[in-house]
Amino acid sequence: MSSLNRRQFMQTGGAVALTVVIGAPPRAAYADDAAGPNAYLRIEADGRITAILPTSEMGQGTHTGQLMILGEELGVDPAAIRVEMPLRPSDPYRLSFGQMRSVGSFGIRSWYEPLRKAAAQARTVLLAAASERWGIPANELTALDGHVVQKNGDRRLGFGELVEAAAALPLSDDPPLRPDSERHITGHPVPRVDTPAKVDGTAVFGTDVDVPGMLHGAVRMSPVFGAEVAGFDEDSVAGFPGVAAVVPVPNGVVVVADTWWRAKRAADALDIRFTDTANDSLSSVELSKAMLDGLAGEVPPVMRRGEAAARLRDSAKTVEATYEVPFLTHVCMEPLVCTAHTREDDVELWMPTQGHDIVRMTVERVLGFANERMTLHTTYLGGGFGRKTHGEIAEQAMLASRAAGRPVKVMWAREDDVQQGYYRPIMTARLRGGLDADGRIAAMHIQLSGPQMGQTFEHVTVRNNTDFFSVASLVDQPYTEHFALDHRHLDVPMPLSPWRAVSSSQNGYFLEAFLDELAEAAGQDPVEFRRAHYASHPRHLAVLDRVAAMSKWEQPLPEGHHRGVAVVASYGSVVAQAVTLRMEGGKPVVQQVHVAIDCGRAINPDSVEAQMQGSVIEGLAAALRHEVPIADGRAQRRNFDDYAPLRIDEAPAIAVEVVETGAPLGGVGEPGIPPLAPALVNALFSATGKRVRRLPVAEQQS
Amino acid sequence: MLEFTLNRRTLSVAADPGTPLLWVLRDTLKLYGTKYGCGRALCGACTVHVDGAPVRACVLPIESVAGRSVTTIEGIGNGELHPLQAAWIDADVPQCGYCQSGQIMSAAALLATNANPGDADIDTAMRGNLCRCGTYDRIRRAIKDASVRLRDDAAAALDETGETGA
Repeated sequence: MSSLNRRQFMQTGGAVALTVVIGAPPRAAYADDAAGPNAYLRIEADGRITAILPTSEMGQGTHTGQLMILGEELGVDPAAIRVEMPLRPSDPYRLSFGQMRSVGSFGIRSWYEPLRKAAAQARTVLLAAASERWGIPANELTALDGHVVQKNGDRRLGFGELVEAAAALPLSDDPPLRPDSERHITGHPVPRVDTPAKVDGTAVFGTDVDVPGMLHGAVRMSPVFGAEVAGFDEDSVAGFPGVAAVVPVPNGVVVVADTWWRAKRAADALDIRFTDTANDSLSSVELSKAMLDGLAGEVPPVMRRGEAAARLRDSAKTVEATYEVPFLTHVCMEPLVCTAHTREDDVELWMPTQGHDIVRMTVERVLGFANERMTLHTTYLGGGFGRKTHGEIAEQAMLASRAAGRPVKVMWAREDDVQQGYYRPIMTARLRGGLDADGRIAAMHIQLSGPQMGQTFEHVTVRNNTDFFSVASLVDQPYTEHFALDHRHLDVPMPLSPWRAVSSSQNGYFLEAFLDELAEAAGQDPVEFRRAHYASHPRHLAVLDRVAAMSKWEQPLPEGHHRGVAVVASYGSVVAQAVTLRMEGGKPVVQQVHVAIDCGRAINPDSVEAQMQGSVIEGLAAALRHEVPIADGRAQRRNFDDYAPLRIDEAPAIAVEVVETGAPLGGVGEPGIPPLAPALVNALFSATGKRVRRLPVAEQQS
Repeated sequence: MLEFTLNRRTLSVAADPGTPLLWVLRDTLKLYGTKYGCGRALCGACTVHVDGAPVRACVLPIESVAGRSVTTIEGIGNGELHPLQAAWIDADVPQCGYCQSGQIMSAAALLATNANPGDADIDTAMRGNLCRCGTYDRIRRAIKDASVRLRDDAAAALDETGETGA
C-alpha cells in the first residue's frame, strides 16, 4: 500500500460514507472506490467498518464466509462489517489467472489468505496506534469487538478513534496472524449476513434495480444457434403502447418500452427474420453420432502415464463401456438481466455478474471504453451456477441504452434463458479398464469425444489436444498409475459454459459409474473395491469410510431398497455420496443421500452443509431428467414444465458430515455435484441389473 | 383506473387490460420483493395472496384483483417479522434467495389454514414453489418451527384472556 493511498484514506475517512448512488435501493452493496487501509477494508472515524469483497454473493454464503475471515483476524463481529464490492475489476480482486470472477469454487479457498492478511495489517496498525497513545507495549494489547483493549487492564478504545493515527503508520507486508487458539469464528456455524434481506423482500437482485428514468428491454433472439438477424419490420409493433425503440443486437433485437410486460408483448409480436445457417437441420442424434464417430481410429492423446497400453493388453480381464451426457442449462431462478446507462463518455452498469473482467472486456469491445470509464454495480445474484459469467446481456443492455438515450434494464424471459445456450457441453466417453489376477485395476484408457469447454474463454489454451476444463477429475484419477487419456474435439454452434462443476460432473459420472462395472467384473463390493485402491489417497479413503459408516453400508437394506456409492475429487475437495432408493412403478424414488466432504477446513460449517444439500438436489434433478435436446438447430426445451428442477415432494433426506484430514482449503460450491449421478446409477444397477450409460435416467425408461 | 387494496392500503393504478399483477407490482408500484421466474405459473416465485389465498401473480390479469385485497412479501409481517420470516432467519433457509418471497407466501397461506402441518401437507402446499438452490430441507424445518411459534403465541394469548377473565 503506497503512502499516497494512505493519505487518501485519512482525507476521505469520513467522506466516503456520503457517496451517493442514484436509485440505490436499501441494502444494496454498492461500493465506493476509496481505499484504506487496504483494498479489502475501510475503517472510518465513526467506527464503521466496510469490507470491499472480491466475489459476488450468488447463494453460497461466500460474503459471510469472507466476513468471518476478516472479522476473526481484525477482532470484530462479522455481522458488524458492511459489505461493498469494487466498482470495477482491478488487481487486488483478481484471481491468479488475472481476472476478477466469482467462479471455480474459489470464493473462500483463494481469498482466505489475502483477506486474513488484510485484516491482520489493519489490526497491527490499530494496536500500534493504541500502544503509542497509551505508552503500553503492543503485545499487551489485543483487538476485540471493534476495540483495542488492554489484556490485563481496563484501557479500551474503539477502532474509529484510532483510525487517524493508525493511517499514518506503515502497513506490514508480513503482519503477524492470530494463532489458532484465537480462531473462534471460522470453523463455527455463523448466520448468513444476507438472510434477513432475503426473507423480507428487500434484497436487491439484478431484476430489482431501479434507476430514475429507466426503461425496460425484452429480447427476441434467433431460435437457431448461429443465425443472425436478416431483417425486421419496426412498423409491426408501431401500435404497441409504451414502445420506445427496437434495437438490433447480435443475433436478435431488444425491444425497449416503459414496462417489461409491454416490451415483452411487442418483442413477441415483432415481425423478424433470421438468416439461414448450416445448422438449420442439426439434431442431437447427429451430434451424438459425431461424438461416437470421433472415437473411431486413433483419438488425439492428452496424457500417458506408466504402461497403460501394455498392461491393458496383458490384463486378466478387461471391461469396456461407452457413456454419454447431454447439454444441460442453468435455469438460475433469476434470469439474465442487466441495467445499463450508456453515456457519451462512460457507462454505468447494474448487474448480477460472476464475470467482472468479462463485463469489462465486453465494454471495451462494444463501446470502446477503457476500464476507468465503466462503473459496475454488482447486485445479489439470483443464482449463477456459471451462467452469469458471460457478457452478452451487458452488451444488449448497453446497446439498448445507447439507442434509447436512457438507462435500460434488459431481462430475458425464462424461454430465452432455456433456449439461448451457454450450455454444459455434451460429451461421449469410452472407458477401458484392465483387472489383474488379484482383481485390482491394472490400467485404464479413457477417451473423450466432444466439445472443449474452454473454447468459450480467451484465456484458456488448448494443450495436448484438450483444455484443462475438459479433463478435470480425470487427469488426477486415484485408481491406477497406468493411465492413458485422449480427447477428440467437436465444434458445436451452441455457446458453452461452466455449469456447476462442469467437466467434473461429466467425468465424475463416467469414471465412478465405470468403477462399479470394474468392481462387478472383479466380483467385489463397490466400497471394498474402491478402498483397495485408495492406499495412497487418504482423503478419498476418509470420505468413503465416513459415508460407508453414515449409510451403514455393511448392513443389509430393507426389502426393495438399493444403494450406490461414488467418490469424486474436484475443486480441491473430495466428496463421497451414497444414494439409497427404491423403485416405484419402474421409476426410482430416491429416499436418502449421505454426503461426506473433505474441504480441508469448513470455514462456515452451516454453509458447507447448505451447499451439499443444494448439490444433491441439483445433481439429482440433472441426472434424473435434465437435458436440452437439439432438433432443427434449436433447443427443444423452454421452461420449468419440460426442464423442471426437483420439487419439495421429490427431495430426499440428506445427511452431511465434514471430514477434516489436514488438507489445504478446498472448494465447496461445486464438489457436491459430481458424485451424485454415478452414485444414483450405481444404485439403479443394484435395483434393475441395468447400467445407465447415458444421462438423463428418465430417457432410459421412456 | 383500477382500485384494489395492497398490503392494507387502498390504491388505484392505470395499466393495460390483461397486464399480469406481477408487472403492476414491480414496474408500476416498484414493489420488487415479488419475483418473475417463469411467467407461466410453473415456479411460484411470484406468489402473493389475494383475499388470503396464494396465487401466481405472473398469470393473474390486473383487472381480476379489482376491489380485492392483495398481500405481498412486503406486507406479510404487517410491519414486523411474520413468524415464518423469523423461523426462516433462524434456519438460515435462503441460498441465492430469489425464490424465497414466494416460498414464504405459500407457507404463510398453508399456516393460515393448517396450524400443525405434517410433511404431506407441506409437500402439497409447497410443491408449486421451485427452489433451484435446493433449500427444501430447511424450508420444511422452518415451516414446522413457525407453526410451533404460532401455536405458542395462540396459547399465550388464550392464557392472557383466561387471566383477564379470572
